[in-house]
Amino acid sequence: MTNKEKYDQIFMDCFSVEKSMLNDKFVYQCIPLWDSVGHMNMVAGIEDTFNIMMDTDDIIEFSSYTKGMEILAKYKIEI
Amino acid sequence: MEQEVIKNLDVYAIQQYQQNRYPLLFIDYVEEVFPGKSAKGHKNFSFNEWFFPVHFADEPNVPGFVQIEVLTQLFLMTFLTLPGNKGKKTGFISIENARFRKKIIPGDRLDIQAELKSYRRGLAKGTSTGYINGEIACSADLVIAIPDILNEFIPTR
Repeated sequence: MTNKEKYDQIFMDCFSVEKSMLNDKFVYQCIPLWDSVGHMNMVAGIEDTFNIMMDTDDIIEFSSYTKGMEILAKYKIEI
Repeated sequence: MEQEVIKNLDVYAIQQYQQNRYPLLFIDYVEEVFPGKSAKGHKNFSFNEWFFPVHFADEPNVPGFVQIEVLTQLFLMTFLTLPGNKGKKTGFISIENARFRKKIIPGDRLDIQAELKSYRRGLAKGTSTGYINGEIACSADLVIAIPDILNEFIPTR
């Protein structure tokens, strides 16, 4: 599985969405499941999958599917 | 390094850690808590409980929702004893694999053992099991949130 596939799978599992929905319009609170709880579940999924611990500022800035890719690059994870 | 343990919390001390109050505070005593790991405590069910006369008049027993709440309140102690969490409000995220194996009746003492499997940024996951005379009476897998803490990590957009 590539990093991109792993990344997409986390979003699909956490938010029960199809892969086709994952684009630059997929942002925080764009669907009911991406609320504060969903956000924390998604972050936990990313940390577990990529074996990282994200900084608080990065968790707060993780406001969209695409922004998340930029943030993960800081942790040397290329999506 | 010796593991931190908190012992012998009476009902007054319990209320310093969680905001549940009569008539919805159910746990009577917490024997020990290993913050971030586990807790052990109990609840005594006497006929004075408000629900026994109505559930049911001819066959008093503890309603399932009360059993879940008892299990949960003991579980709360595993993470409300962590630094910064004391006295915070909590909310259910999910209850899974709830099992009710034994009817709990007036006079029973429910011994509860709760295990915290993970706690990260206001989200606690774990399991809680109740025993009557050493036999499993009820159990559930729980996910509980501390909204105040979750809200510190949401995107500001």
